[in-house]
Amino acid sequence: MPETNIITTIGPEHYLVLSALLFSIGMAGVLLRRNLIVLLMSIELMLNAVNISFITFSHYSGKVEGQIMVFFVMTIAAAEAAVGLALAVSIFKRFKEVNIRFFEHLKG
Amino acid sequence: MTSMGTTTFEVAVNLIKLVLVFLMMVQLVPILVWLERRGSAFIQNRFGPNRVGPLGLLQLLADAVKFLTKEDFAPEKGNRLLFYAAPVFALVPAAVAYMAIPMSVPLKFNEYTFLIQGYEINVGIVFILGISSLAAYTILMAGWGSGSKFSLMGALRASAQIISYELALGLSIVGIILLYGTFNLSEMIHAQQGIFSFNAFGHNISASWLPNWGIFYQPVGMILFFAATFAESNRLPFDLAEGEAELVAGFHTEYGGFKMLMFFIGEYGHMMIASGLMATFFFGGYSIWNLTPQEVYQWCFNLIGNEFWAGAMNSLLHFLSYLVKFGIFLWIFFHVRWTLPRFRYDQLMDLGWKTMLPWALANTMITALIIFVTSYYVL
Amino acid sequence: MTADVFLFWFLAFMTIVSGLGVVLMANPIYSALSLAMTMISVAAIFVTLQAYFLAGVQIIVYAGAVMVLFVMVLMLFDLKHELQAFTRGRATGAIKIATVGILSGLVVGAVTIGLTIGGKNQAEVASATKAAGIVDTTRGLSEALFLKNVFGFEALGVLLLVIAVGTVALSRSKGGTHARD
Repeated sequence: MPETNIITTIGPEHYLVLSALLFSIGMAGVLLRRNLIVLLMSIELMLNAVNISFITFSHYSGKVEGQIMVFFVMTIAAAEAAVGLALAVSIFKRFKEVNIRFFEHLKG
Repeated sequence: MTSMGTTTFEVAVNLIKLVLVFLMMVQLVPILVWLERRGSAFIQNRFGPNRVGPLGLLQLLADAVKFLTKEDFAPEKGNRLLFYAAPVFALVPAAVAYMAIPMSVPLKFNEYTFLIQGYEINVGIVFILGISSLAAYTILMAGWGSGSKFSLMGALRASAQIISYELALGLSIVGIILLYGTFNLSEMIHAQQGIFSFNAFGHNISASWLPNWGIFYQPVGMILFFAATFAESNRLPFDLAEGEAELVAGFHTEYGGFKMLMFFIGEYGHMMIASGLMATFFFGGYSIWNLTPQEVYQWCFNLIGNEFWAGAMNSLLHFLSYLVKFGIFLWIFFHVRWTLPRFRYDQLMDLGWKTMLPWALANTMITALIIFVTSYYVL
Repeated sequence: MTADVFLFWFLAFMTIVSGLGVVLMANPIYSALSLAMTMISVAAIFVTLQAYFLAGVQIIVYAGAVMVLFVMVLMLFDLKHELQAFTRGRATGAIKIATVGILSGLVVGAVTIGLTIGGKNQAEVASATKAAGIVDTTRGLSEALFLKNVFGFEALGVLLLVIAVGTVALSRSKGGTHARD
């Protein structure tokens, strides 16, 4: 397989590598950041990366089931964002900051 | 999704067309501003701008010069990047969404067919709704970037309003999507051409004195859609964002000069999108009352006798028809702004969530039921 | 270089850069706006993969609703500067290294697997795509969603209801909207 092929012909592997990179970026965000809202955003990033790979497989295998899965992922992402933001608001009301180290004080 | 053509000639024409549609949108704004000021003066028994040029028409030019020569200032406590980026982002979604609305029948030239719109998208409705929902960012960026309490409060109000009314807006057109079975605006217009006729219980019902427009099938959807677009474009009676009595001027309190003008263009752009969509969904788009484009083409061909020029005249006539409908809805926007009082904020939210959303849901369900019953049972 | 290839590289670049922006920006508002940019780029990538309806839904749901909520909450908090944006200390140093390891492992794995798929089944994949042709994907999608996967759809409806009730219960203060906290 000649090297130039990778640049000029786009196949499923390109999309999959893009998806993997985006997923890793999101994971790094979850591990490195301390702001609760940025953590939630990094999770959204990871879910988006997963969506890209679902759509890629759906397109290259000619089946719509992958797109259905993306539909479900989107719904769950929206729900997760709503709950996460509600938690963030309740933390902010108590401590005037949204750092995750305040999470342990949220019992009861 | 969208193709720019295969030959150089076709690509060039399509690119020029994009620029032309954008310019048309931007150039309409000063004319609309003049119309609105003269119209409001007429409603309130005043004169309005009448000094510069005939009928005050050159007032537009004077305003443009004034906006361009004003001092370019930014608040010190704000965020400069967001402050400068917000007006640009106000313009982009409106322009991009407006280009997807078809304005006339496609023009045939030799073997090419040119659509009279910026570009065609086969999920046009979803695209336009999505792009125009990005307007909330503009408002939030402007409000936060200004670094002022009034701007921030205005921005939070306005974006909450836009998100709430987006639901009613989206649901109110589900009925019409079910009816025509397509997301494509051109196909939707195609289905509304000619005389009023539909199939129910295996029979064809038609009336030759009515056009086949969406409003006769979806009157509730039309009312809900039009009301929601008022809220989406932040116009009276839903202009809570810039409630002048309590919030100075809402999210654009700190803006002046050319940046203010760009917010203006964005707001008028949203009105144009709303008017274009109203015409497309419920009033047959560019189609002429009771006539199909083929009939009009035949009439033009008999008059002229040249295929290309008959097609051009056909396109021109339909474009005029579109402009008339478009203008009527824009005028309704102005008229409502200058005659109706504003809502209070809690009334606005109640109207959106407790009245329009249930009605839109009911409309969707009843439409689906009727379509199912009338197409599956034969009497 | 055809237009499709250029489009892919451009969108991939935009996605990665704005994705990095989410993680690396110290100001959470810039992170949120950068994430909105990522969402729009991902929607454009869906378009290049001919999932038009999902691209529209991606813009409406993610960029138009979810991210606006994020930005709204952030602006409501009005965090001017963040004292401790990133984790510090020995234990977290180890986590950072592990992150980089997993990251590179994922990418290398994806590349190798991708290349073997590409090498072996390129022709097969191409023929499958051709057989599927340009179908009306929106109609196919709705048929698959409402006929085959209707149970999952209903389950999602129940989930959303639970989430809505839970969120309202969580964020409601005593005394309704007029509470003095």
